[in-house]
Amino acid sequence: MKKVLVVDDSLSVARQLEKIINESGDFTCVGHAKNGAEAIKMNHSEDPDIICMDMNMPGMDGLTALRSLVMLDKEVKVVMVTSLGGVGDKFTEAIKLGAKNVISKPFEAENVLNILRAL
Amino acid sequence: MAVKFFGQFLVEQDAVTSEALLHAIELQERTNLKLGEMAVTLGFITRQDIEAAHAAQLSKDMKLGDLLVELGFLTKDQLNEVIARQKATHLYIGEALVKVGALTPDKLEYYLEKFKADQAPYIAERIELPSWLQENGSIWEMTVDLTYKMITRVIGIQFRPGRYQESALIAANHMIAAMDISGDLNARYLFSVSSGIQKAIARAILKEDDVEGESDEILEDTVMEFVNIVCGNVVAKASQMGTTLDINPPVTLHPPADGLKVPEGYRGILFPIHVGDGETMEMALFVKQ
Repeated sequence: MKKVLVVDDSLSVARQLEKIINESGDFTCVGHAKNGAEAIKMNHSEDPDIICMDMNMPGMDGLTALRSLVMLDKEVKVVMVTSLGGVGDKFTEAIKLGAKNVISKPFEAENVLNILRAL
Repeated sequence: MAVKFFGQFLVEQDAVTSEALLHAIELQERTNLKLGEMAVTLGFITRQDIEAAHAAQLSKDMKLGDLLVELGFLTKDQLNEVIARQKATHLYIGEALVKVGALTPDKLEYYLEKFKADQAPYIAERIELPSWLQENGSIWEMTVDLTYKMITRVIGIQFRPGRYQESALIAANHMIAAMDISGDLNARYLFSVSSGIQKAIARAILKEDDVEGESDEILEDTVMEFVNIVCGNVVAKASQMGTTLDINPPVTLHPPADGLKVPEGYRGILFPIHVGDGETMEMALFVKQ
């Protein structure tokens, strides 16, 4: 079963994603980081296969954290989860920085799992 | 279920890989010249003129083209020619994907039709606005309209939009979630809800039938997340309309009993959203003047 770390400052989005991940049968959620800095620490301690990360967070934002994560860990696959997914420049920047895909909010469980399974 | 741009839709549909999309975007970036670069290519100005205009932009809130005209580097006719040439030579993402071999022309046509159908629910409907909001009226209309559409799609409740009201304050309510919008336009988006509406939003966001045992922190967070979804999709739609906006993380406000005043330098407009059952919901915009 693949391990997924959720990174989002919103408790409700984190809960929604954790539920989708844990009920999938293919993935298990290994933790929830509330900002980019926590994500970097938890990537080291939990060693997830996949990180689902918000783009717009207080403190270290998602794109800054993405840059560090892909530099520090060549194996981890990062998927951005954001309400800004439909902004062409933001989507492009995330993919250029090494994100594997971008999930737009609002999302459906099926859409999230299809993207995670395709990684 | 969200506002998307065509490249993202294609990756989501598994029609192209993110690597192929990146190649196409790089081709676009090489092909689609920015206004200053196009003016240089046409021989109207030099790179030094662009640098001088960029330096002047630090103290003047003007678009580069208008500033180049004001500084005397370009005539109005030349500016129009530069813009016309930019439009005539613009390489769209679908065309770029065909050029890099990621899509056939037939597949491009097929997915364009599919994309139009997917995004059809997000075509903005007309919303009545006061005259002082007409300057960027299409953006504000879209903001109000997307709020209504997301109430239907995300919260799933019946409502009736009320006529706008100009006001110097928002009446007190159970809570208000707010988000600052910056970039080409500056405003604060606010969404005010009663306790029952807050729980309806929580049920929808958390996908739970019962939220009675949830903490205030989680309940408030779900309303902030709803505002985040609306504003993120507003920014996406605005970018398709040629307006660059950005958002900060949402915040929760608990206004005093006499209401939340519109800050100095801003003008307030309220959009009542009638839901019945003694519950209240309202969206508001504090637009910087």
